[in-house]
This record gives sequence, structure tokens and C-alpha cells, in this order.
Amino acid sequence: MSSDNESKGVFLVPGMDVAPNRTRSITIVVVLFLTMLTIGMLNLYSASIDMPWFSRQMRNLIFVLPAFFICAWLIPIKKVQNYSWWIYLAVCLMLAIVFILGKVAGGAQRWLSIGPVGFQPSEFAKLAVAIIVARFFSFKRSPLPYTLRDLLPVLCTVGLVFALIFAQPDFGTAGICLLIALVQLAFIRINLRSLGLTLISLPLIGFFGWTLALRDYQKLRILNLFNPNLDPQNTGYNSLQSLIAIGSGKTFGKGYMMGTQAHLKFLPERHTDFIFSVFAEEHGFWGGAVIFALFALLVWTALSIGRQTRDTFAGMLAVGIAALLFLEFFVNIAMVLGIFPVVGLPLPFFSYGSSSQLTIAISLGLLISIVRSTAARQKS
Amino acid sequence: MRLMGKQDSQLVESRFLWASVIVLIVISALLLRLWYIQIYRGEYYSAISDRNRVRRIDIPVPRGIIYDRHGEVVLGNRPFFDLVYVPQYIKHKQETFRILSRILNIPLETIEKRVRAARGQPKFRPVSLKRNLSLHEVSIVESNRVFLPGIEIRREPRRDYHPAVPPHMVGYIREVTKKTLSRNKDLYKDNPYLPGDLVGKQGLEAQWESWLRGKRGFRLVQVDAFGRQSDQSQETNWEYPVVPAEPGADLELTLDMELQKAVKKAFSGKNGAVVVMDPRNGEILAALSEPGFNPEIMQTGLSTEDWQQLTSNPFKPFLDKTTGGEFAPGSIFKPVLGMAALEEKLITPATTYHCPGHFVLGNHTFYCHKREGHGAVNLRDAIVKSCDAYFYHVGIELGVDRIASYARSFGLGDRLKLKLNMERPGLIPTSAWKQLVHKFPWTKGDTPNVAIGQGYVLMTPIQMASLYASIANHGTVYRPYLVKKVTNHVGEILKTTEPEVLTETTMISKETFELMGSILKDVVHHQQGTGKNARVAGRTVAGKTGSAQVVSLKKNRNQQDVSMKWKEHAIFTAFSPVENAEIVVAIVSENDKVGGGGRSAAPVSQEIISTYWKLKEKRKRKKISMQNEAGTGKDVIR
Repeated sequence: MSSDNESKGVFLVPGMDVAPNRTRSITIVVVLFLTMLTIGMLNLYSASIDMPWFSRQMRNLIFVLPAFFICAWLIPIKKVQNYSWWIYLAVCLMLAIVFILGKVAGGAQRWLSIGPVGFQPSEFAKLAVAIIVARFFSFKRSPLPYTLRDLLPVLCTVGLVFALIFAQPDFGTAGICLLIALVQLAFIRINLRSLGLTLISLPLIGFFGWTLALRDYQKLRILNLFNPNLDPQNTGYNSLQSLIAIGSGKTFGKGYMMGTQAHLKFLPERHTDFIFSVFAEEHGFWGGAVIFALFALLVWTALSIGRQTRDTFAGMLAVGIAALLFLEFFVNIAMVLGIFPVVGLPLPFFSYGSSSQLTIAISLGLLISIVRSTAARQKS
Repeated sequence: MRLMGKQDSQLVESRFLWASVIVLIVISALLLRLWYIQIYRGEYYSAISDRNRVRRIDIPVPRGIIYDRHGEVVLGNRPFFDLVYVPQYIKHKQETFRILSRILNIPLETIEKRVRAARGQPKFRPVSLKRNLSLHEVSIVESNRVFLPGIEIRREPRRDYHPAVPPHMVGYIREVTKKTLSRNKDLYKDNPYLPGDLVGKQGLEAQWESWLRGKRGFRLVQVDAFGRQSDQSQETNWEYPVVPAEPGADLELTLDMELQKAVKKAFSGKNGAVVVMDPRNGEILAALSEPGFNPEIMQTGLSTEDWQQLTSNPFKPFLDKTTGGEFAPGSIFKPVLGMAALEEKLITPATTYHCPGHFVLGNHTFYCHKREGHGAVNLRDAIVKSCDAYFYHVGIELGVDRIASYARSFGLGDRLKLKLNMERPGLIPTSAWKQLVHKFPWTKGDTPNVAIGQGYVLMTPIQMASLYASIANHGTVYRPYLVKKVTNHVGEILKTTEPEVLTETTMISKETFELMGSILKDVVHHQQGTGKNARVAGRTVAGKTGSAQVVSLKKNRNQQDVSMKWKEHAIFTAFSPVENAEIVVAIVSENDKVGGGGRSAAPVSQEIISTYWKLKEKRKRKKISMQNEAGTGKDVIR
């Protein structure tokens, strides 16, 4: 679908070209947000046996839902562009504080608690990375393809976030941040020589990263990917039980609230990383396919919003949000399906966790804000 | 490459198309993977998921009940109370065990040892802390239930032994051995033994193990990832099949429990064996071996002290002497010689020998038990007064091999195929046997000892009973049996035993048997008969006493001075009535304190036989009265 005059549909009345596109994108995003949130909550209800996860997540909706609508209709995208550096600095500061004061859980410092509220700054960092990269390109324009030297500042800013998260250590989230930035970079023109240089140096970085930077448990997780039966009581156990849960769902699933793997607690981390296994066990292949379709539609909508806007910042941000949604979906599902290491990433809308849910709500809100500002500019 | 739109956006438009394609491909790949796991391999994972959550719990099965011939329970089951703890429900482990050890007076270490031994089992499986609680202990635990979450009293069916149960006959049960468990795969495929099972080890329990043990049932329970049994009431659509236990088959014995009790009472204080049989078919009516043991201690676990006490007893409590004890028969062997001599025409009933109290053969003197001598005795006198000298003569004339061939025609020297408790064959010596075993030829001096049932001759109590049964029924040797009928738990008859004739003596004529019967009757009924203590009012009894010397008592005749170990065995065999006998009794009292067969064993026989008749009359009266009742009942209806 094209936004411009040349692709005007025969059904559209001239002069009314913008309004249907705008409302349609907004409607799709709002409906998808609410639908997937509902499915996610229902699924979480099934996953929380003797655990208060569902009720706590319901409580989180008190600020998640307003956040979505505020970002969508009360925050102009220009404001976000202006405050980009502040957002970035705030997130970096929080990450630094986590590094010093954070709560240790599961062998890593990820949590920051203010009174009764605990949150994970690394979740917000994903969005912050998307914003700061978008800000960089809207500020530093270039008629020629970008060279490595041009990109050095943005690589450094992203690298700082990556380093702070990686040090927690949270391999998965750090990787996602880096990947979001890389996806955004893929949408601009880059000097071929610089690209070649990067492609040659990456395996080297990878090799040294493996030997020097990765912790043992992270290495084990990656190795376990290749043979989940190797270590059934450790990290591979999760993978195996997840496969059993999904596989035993077969075509139509065991029925809502009937998943034995989840309800008898064979499935570990069933409220966060392995939430999709609960869904797939209870709703089968067709249920899973519907979820895939919804995510595909959401990502595609985010991309088309990015394409429609003529503003570099808004476009880059939409691409970043699309990347955020798609990467989280892909990594989590691939992990659950046993074709990716267990890196500990939440599935948007489904996983328990206030920070990740809030990040998704804000991201989708900003998407609507982008649509609105695009429309406003076209009007003017 | 074209920049987006008219404006100076830095984004490249074509990349959006690429991105959409990549997203589509990646999601399709994930969908393919989902299809592979859920549909292509769905069955496989489904099976694992079922195995993950379903566990099997065995339902214990009671062993078959053993009844006597009149339907009275010889050996039944009763619930045993075991103290168990279920790890799933326990809250404060240490605190609970401390309370438990205090109220039941068990050392804490014992409990902890038991708990440690059961580590690694699923959490819903109860762990036994103490077996066989007394009712008092049960009530203590029950009244403290509130403070003891996770502690339970479990009921397990076990054998209910009461004092009248003949331990050797029914046998005992013990925990299954590793050897038996290792044969599970090929022998007990569909009904395997599990560790801790109790298995029949002696007597009927061992002989009929495969019938008595039954088949355990099981039910399936759903467990969670921690092995805890999950609450099934919530998820009503999960229903698992329950396979009920099949109780073991019941045995109906030929035993008469009332008579058995009387035998035990009559024989109390003595060591040895008693066998009561029906001479008409070989049914065993009662069998007792003393001293016995308490089978209870075998199923609850034997302590070292008990074990030492049992094994140090010189009278071998574990040996079933009715079939496994071999004794010199003494004078009860004499009728065999008498009949043999009559058939061989060596003597007639009128032939007399003079008994001076001893018998000289070469340079060796054999003494009669009465040193003063019996004077002139014929066959009748010799048996009635139990004259040894007479039979020394007869024995020498017959020779050992002729004696043996007659004895063997009664099935002696061979197992009676009862197949219970290591039956022994006894021994009837021949000259060939001595040459073979002792590497020494038979001398004439060996024969007089054989003639009075001593020396090499050995018989088991059941053989003694069988011998007299054959004399009573004129020559038929029945295979003794104990189990009449096997029925399963719903009452279907699985197996019945018919009387079986082992051999029949053709060497002895009917007249000889009748003569011997009247002579044996005189043993009891004659004034001078050695067995007059066995007389029963109103009934005829034929019997023979025997007193087998354990050691040669040439120099020491005073019974009082002889130590317990060297006292003679008192033996008495009898049947009643003399014509068409219904009951035959064999009694062997080892190293009897009182004296020989006439003084010590005959009164026991008297009690047994009179009880038999009393019981018979009682039952007859009962039957008649019941028939009358039924008759009047019919009249009323009419």
C-alpha cells in the first residue's frame, strides 16, 4: 500500500486520500493492541496456578492502558524527538543505578525497585535505543551513503547501552538492543566499503566475544540448543519440557485451562519466557498460527506506518518499533520452539512483567502518534 | 536506490519491501517448525506428556484364606497398622519427627534412617516408619493427628496368626529375597514381586504360593513436576482406570481344626510330632510338630535374639517333624514282622517262644525290655506285651531282606509324596544297602535290632500313621494329602484333590490283617496290654506302643538318672474302630520325660481319639437338628 498520490485507489475520493489510511492504521494498531493484550491476559490466567501473576498483571494495566492512550494522543512525536537525549540519558542513568544498587535475581542484577514497584530499566532501553538512533539520523543528514566514520557516534551510544545491559548480565536484552539499532541502520544507505569491513570484522568479534565476554551459563545455553537431551535437569530441561508442552498440544490443543504440562508445573518459567508453550499446549497448532498472523500483521502495520511518514525521525522510530516487536517475537518463539538458545526474552503481550508490557504499550502508542503527526503534516 | 517521497527522508523505500519479505519468510519458517512439533511429532510429545504426569500406585492384595474341612478359618488375614509418612503433605519435618519419636518412644535416629533410605522416591509414596503398630500406639498417633501433618496410619493386609495355627503346616511368610526378584522377568512376568512383598517360605504357604498370593491391582494418579499427587477433584475430566486387586485363591484343607486344637492340647509339654489321618482315603485330619515357633515374628521381621533362641533350641523348632523328622519306630514296627512271618509260614498264631528276658546271638546278648522275661509267648502275647525276645527270633528267621521287602510293600523307606516341608523318606535297611553305604556286609547281629524297629530303621511320623492306616484298611497305601479344594475369591472351584492310591500290598492276606487287627485291639483292650491307657469308652481302639531307645541303655536302666537328651522316644500308633477304621493316630514324643509309649504317648492318643468321636457325634446331632428344622419349616410353608 502506498501513501502517495500515485497510488491513490480508485475507490478513494480525491482530497480524502489521507483520512482513510490514517484511521485504518490507527484502528489496526488499537484493535491489535487490545486483542493481543486480552489474549495474553487470558493465557496468563491459565499459566498462573497458585501464583498471583495474573492479578498482578491486571494491576499493571492501571498504568499500562493509560500509557498507551497518552502516548498515542497526547504526546506529539516532535516532543519525543526533542527530548530524545534526555530519554536516552535517563535510561542510561537507570541502567547505571541498576548496576550499582539493583536487586540480584537469578544470578543477574536486572531489577530496580522504588518502594513497592520494581522494574527493569533494560526493557525501556530497547525503546530508548530506537529513539536515539532515529534522533541521530534526523539530525545528521548526509546526501552520500554513510561511512563507518559517520556512524561511529551512533554506534558508541548504542554500544554504551549494550555494555551496561550486557554487564548485568543480560545477554538477551543486550543483543536485542544491538539488533534493533542494526535493523534501523539497514534502512539507510551505507558505504559499501564500510559494510564489507564490518562483515569481515564481525566473526573476529564473535570469536573473542565467545572466549572472553560470555559467562559459562550463557555458553551452556547456546550449546544446549544443539542437544536439549544433553542436560535435562539444567537449562536443557526447560527447552525439553517446552517442546513436550507444545508438541502434546497437537492440532487443536488440550483446551483452555487443560494444559497438563503447565498446570502440573512441568513447564518452568511458564509465565515469562515459556508463556507461548502454555498457549500452544492449550490451543494447538491453529491457535499458534493465529498468534503468528497477529504478530505478522502488527509488524507489517508498523513498517507501513514507517513508510508512510516523510519524517526521518518518525520513520526510523517506526522501523525501530517494528524491529523491537518482531525481534522479541522471533527470539522468544524460536527459543520456545527449540531453535534458538534460551536467552530469556519476554513475548510481547503475553509474558508477565510490568516493564516489558509498559514498553510495548508506549511503543504502540508512539506508532499512533507517528500516524497522527504524519497526517497533520500532510494537512498543513 | 530512491529516497522516500519528495522529502529528504533518509530511509530507503525499497528496504521496506525487503523487510516485509524477510518478516514473512521468518514467520513462515517458525510456523513450519510449529507444524513439525505439534502435528508431525505431536503423538510423540503427547506420549511423553502422559508419561510425565501419570504414575502407578499399587493396591496391596490379601493372600488367600486357608479353611479347614468344616469351613473354619485356619489362617486368615487381618489389617496391620503401619506408621507411614507421606513427604508430599509434611510441613515441618524435623518438628514432626521429634513429636513422633517422643510419643511413640522410637529413637529419632531410627526414623531418620528410614527416611534417608526412602530418598529419591516420588513424594506421594508413603514411607514406612514403623511396622505393626499396636492399637494403643495407633490411638496415640490418631489423637495427635493435628500436630502431625503428613503422618498417616496405613492398613496392610497381613496374616493373622493365632496360637492354634499349626505353624509348620501353614508355614510362614517372609520378605521376598533378591533372588526371587531377579527372576521376575521370566517367571512372574504379568504379576511380578516387588521389594517388600511377603512370600510363603514353608508349608502350605510355600507349596501353594502361586495360588495364595493373588494379583496386585493398581491405580494411576496424576502427579506434578515435583512428584506430588495433584488434586484430581479439581480437574474432573481426568479420570484414570483403577485395576482392582485379585485376592489369592482360598485353600480348603482336610484338616479338622477342632481336632487340631485337641491334639495340641493333648500333646502340650511334649516335643515331637503327631499325625492324625483318615485311613480310608489318606486325608490328614491333624498334624502337629512341637516345639513350634510363632510365624508372626517372620512377617514382622525377626530380631537377632529371636533368631538365636530359635536356632539354639535342640528340638529344632523350624523342622516339621511330621514329615521331616526320622525316628526309630521301635515296637510299632513289630506287627510288620509278625505279619511277614505268618505269610512266610515261619510261625502260626500258636507258635510260642520262651522269653527269658534276653536273647543270645553268638557272643552278643540282646535284652528284652522286661529283664525278668515274659515266659512262653505266642504272637498275640508278644505284641500285646511287646516282647522283644520273640521278635529277635522271628527277625533272625526272616532275615533282613525279607523284612525289608514286606516293609517296603507298605511304602516305607520312600517318600509318601506329600510334597510338604522337605519330606524325608525314612530308612528300611537291606543287606545291599549296608554294603553300599557302610562298605561292610550285613551281619546277623544287625538283624535283631531291625526286628524291634531300632538300629538302622527310620520312619517319619506320617509314615507311621500311613503304615497303621494300611493295616487298618487291609493293605492300601493312600497318598496323604492336606488340600482338598482350591477356590478363587468369587467361589469358583479351581482345583480339587481326589484320594490317590500309592501302592497296595499283595503280600499279606486279608486273614492276616484281620488277625493283626484283633491282636492290636488287645494291646489296648487286654488287661496286660501295653496300650491300655489309650482305651476309649464305647469305641474299639487298636494300637501299638513303642519306646525307641536313643542310646544303648545296657548299664543304666534308671530313667531318672538319664539326662534329657538320652531319654527314649515314646511312640504310639492307633486306629479306631478296629473294623472299618476311620481314624489313625501316630504320636512320637521325643526324649519323653514320663516314659515309654504306653505311659506317655498312649494317653495322648486316648484324648485324640475320644475327641474325634465326641466331635463326630456332636456334628451328627447338629446335622439332625438342622434337618428337623428344615423339615418343620417345609411343613409350615405347606
